Amino acid sequence: MAILEVNHLKKIYTTRFGGAQVTALRNVNFTVEQGEYVAIMGESGSGKSTLLNILAALDKPTAGTVLLEGRDLSKVKETVLAEFRRDNLGFVFQDFNLLDTFSVEDNIYLPMVLAGRSYEEMKARLTPIASRLAITELLKKYPYEISGGQKQRVAVARALMMEPKLVLADEPTGALDSRATDELLDLFGQVNRDGQTILMVTHSVKAASHADRVLFIKDGEVFHQIYRGNSTNQELYQKISDALTLLTTGGEQA
Amino acid sequence: MKKRGFYRKLAVSGIYKNKKNYLPYILTCVGMVMMYYIVCFLADSPGVASIKGGEIMQMVLSLGGWVIGIFAVIFLFYTNSFLIRRRKKEFGLYNILGMGKRNLFRILLWENVIIAAIALLAGLFCGILFSKLAELCMARILGAEGSMTFYISLASVRGAVILFAVIFLILLLHGSREIYKANPVELLHSEAAGERPPKARFLLALFGVALLAGAYYLAVTIQDPVEAMLLFFVAVVMVILGTYLLFIAGSVALCRLLQKKKKYYYKTNHFVSVSSMAFRMKRNGAGLASICILSTMVLVMLSSTICLFIGTEDMLHERYPRDIVIQTDSVDPKEYGRVRQIAAEVLDSHGLLGENASEYRYTYLDGFLAEDQLLLDRQEMENFDINLTDSLREVYVLPLEDYNRMMGTQYSLAPGEALLACKKMSYQYDTFSIKGYGTFTIKEQITDGAPAMGSAMASIVGSLFLVVPSMDEVNGINALSKEVREYYSLRCWYGFDLSCSDEEMQKVAEEISARNGDLRENQGFAPDVMTECIERDRAEFYATYGGLFFLGVLLGLVFVIAAVLIIYYKQVSEGYEDQGRFAIMKKVGMTDREIKKSINSQVLTVFFLPLLMAGVHMAFAFPMLRLVMMLLGLVNTWLAVVTAVVSYLIFALLYVLVYRGTSRTYYGIVRNH
Repeated sequence: MAILEVNHLKKIYTTRFGGAQVTALRNVNFTVEQGEYVAIMGESGSGKSTLLNILAALDKPTAGTVLLEGRDLSKVKETVLAEFRRDNLGFVFQDFNLLDTFSVEDNIYLPMVLAGRSYEEMKARLTPIASRLAITELLKKYPYEISGGQKQRVAVARALMMEPKLVLADEPTGALDSRATDELLDLFGQVNRDGQTILMVTHSVKAASHADRVLFIKDGEVFHQIYRGNSTNQELYQKISDALTLLTTGGEQA
Repeated sequence: MKKRGFYRKLAVSGIYKNKKNYLPYILTCVGMVMMYYIVCFLADSPGVASIKGGEIMQMVLSLGGWVIGIFAVIFLFYTNSFLIRRRKKEFGLYNILGMGKRNLFRILLWENVIIAAIALLAGLFCGILFSKLAELCMARILGAEGSMTFYISLASVRGAVILFAVIFLILLLHGSREIYKANPVELLHSEAAGERPPKARFLLALFGVALLAGAYYLAVTIQDPVEAMLLFFVAVVMVILGTYLLFIAGSVALCRLLQKKKKYYYKTNHFVSVSSMAFRMKRNGAGLASICILSTMVLVMLSSTICLFIGTEDMLHERYPRDIVIQTDSVDPKEYGRVRQIAAEVLDSHGLLGENASEYRYTYLDGFLAEDQLLLDRQEMENFDINLTDSLREVYVLPLEDYNRMMGTQYSLAPGEALLACKKMSYQYDTFSIKGYGTFTIKEQITDGAPAMGSAMASIVGSLFLVVPSMDEVNGINALSKEVREYYSLRCWYGFDLSCSDEEMQKVAEEISARNGDLRENQGFAPDVMTECIERDRAEFYATYGGLFFLGVLLGLVFVIAAVLIIYYKQVSEGYEDQGRFAIMKKVGMTDREIKKSINSQVLTVFFLPLLMAGVHMAFAFPMLRLVMMLLGLVNTWLAVVTAVVSYLIFALLYVLVYRGTSRTYYGIVRNH
């Protein structure tokens, strides 16, 4: 069953003084199945970020629909939108977005506290997640005391706490060194194997090579997609590189 | 070449681009220069000196000049360091782009020169403009006509220029030290650094609480005005220290305690607020404590000087219970009758009649009061565990018949009994004994029943009035004091009011005094006679308390400016700090409304805590203030309460207005992300 359906998505920005119009998304169509791990790739300006913002219900499309488990995001009322996001979507950002005024533990609790859950429930839920992400030792520390890779693991824990239908990851390895990147990607794979649906936007080939399926976006459209099939990460990496070469050099003619 | 202009331009554009921070700073500098000039001008102006009582006023004011000067140094230093912190990033950028520290110093130099020039020019201009107004206000307070001549005090201009040149030099040195210390990377990141989670320092917090509690306890329990006067400054220091500790350590400790209460902490409403408050208080504790103390200072100063000024007439009448008072060193009816006769003759010649006249005989003693025993001999003190300053008492002893006649009362006393009345002290024993004489049983303590006695009001120690059954007892007590202290003090007090012009009253007093002098020198009249007139001191009283009032208002204004500026800068820095946090909270699923609500409640707490605390300080300071005012002769408690409450309300209103104005800047910054 498709957990996410994106149909004929179109987004046109009008500059502030009503002058030129910029088409960020022309016509985007794809679906994400329950339990799938999808990566979206594209160059800067290809419309990746716009797409992610619309999927996160932070922005509204000009035309087309986004259905999360059959529910149209644009129909969700403005007043409950934050709540809807909190309950259904988990976010992992490039720059972690941890609050420096909270301890690691409290940062992870934040969405649950906002949702009004009890402390016992939060704690019960955190214990397995923390040990899975190897951050049990860090819980009492503060964001400024831990490394980038650790921060991102904390952010993942925060995203998983509400047991979201979909985790949206925006360039999650962007601020990490190669070792931390490897660790995080392994972690994503593991989380995904446990049944979590993940949609990741990235321009790192390495990050994308861990996904089940890679979508390429160019000029506001899904230009190409690669299924993993039976390929190893290594083989998928090669396929993605080839596709990217095609995309940048021969793309126009294709 | 063109190079010099280049640095100047950088400095100017730096100031202009940061005008949100610099404009209030420059305005404050201007205000400080203006205030300083006005106070110095008034202290120096011949126009003021020529007013009756003006010289006393000028003495008070030159003291105020010092206070403003010292305050300006501290305060401008504080605000300047805030500005430097904000500009470090810009300097870091210049540094990375290839500008040496020497070049940065030149920018800083230009900046300071420009601001100093603006501050001095505008400040002196405004000062000169408003100095005449201030002089007229002052003349009005002293009850004199202001002259219309305009005058610029060159000495004051020079003083202001020198003082502020020195201040700006200090600021420049401090700024360049900051630049020399730092390396470029640090300069660039200086704003982001140091956001460690605040540690709860429970011990310090407890110490702060203890200090405050101690000061409050002192303020509430002290009964003796002299002790209050002495301990007032101790209490002030304790309150200042306690406030700083409480705001800096106590607030963080409280947040930490709340965080430990899981049930409380992990609630949507409390979660974000409590943890952010800990950080907010760590950053702002010192600033908020300063606001709190400045506010308290303004309140105490304004309310007490206003109260004293309004109560000047009361104090005058306490000191001079009658318009004219004549005291004769004799209890021989023939002798004091003669003096009374002279007064009547003088009044006759002016066609006046003494109204409200009264007369009584008394003897005066001073000694140390150990519980219910008065010790006349200093040597004996050593046998008792008593405090020198707060056990020194003045005792006036008068016979019952004089007391009853004067007060229109019908008391009767058996031998060994006495009536007792207190001024500036309290007495809780049933007996009163004079060492070496005997013991009296206090039949009744008469509140508000002290006879008119100006010297009891003028004195800083507490006074006891002892009404004894007969004149024989008075004589006996005097004999003892004569023996122990070799001090003869049997007197007759005679006073009356007059309804005539001030000038005539003074003339009457002078004539009486002259005729009594003549009596003594030329007619062999032995006893000393002293004549006092209320009019002689009226101008002096008004000058002193009017001067204090005037200074209180001026200093109050300066402190208010300071408090406003600190609030403004706090809002600005809070705004920058919250910008990023706002964005993150939104991303992790807080609604705009939730964020706004949380931030609002935090900001409100932060800014209204000092006001609230100032109110509490003020309330506890009140008993002590009342005692000190009592010492100065102001006994009207009701007046003191009203002025204190009204001052607080007006101040609170002002505070709210300032908060409203500055919070707009805050939201402007926060929304800008």
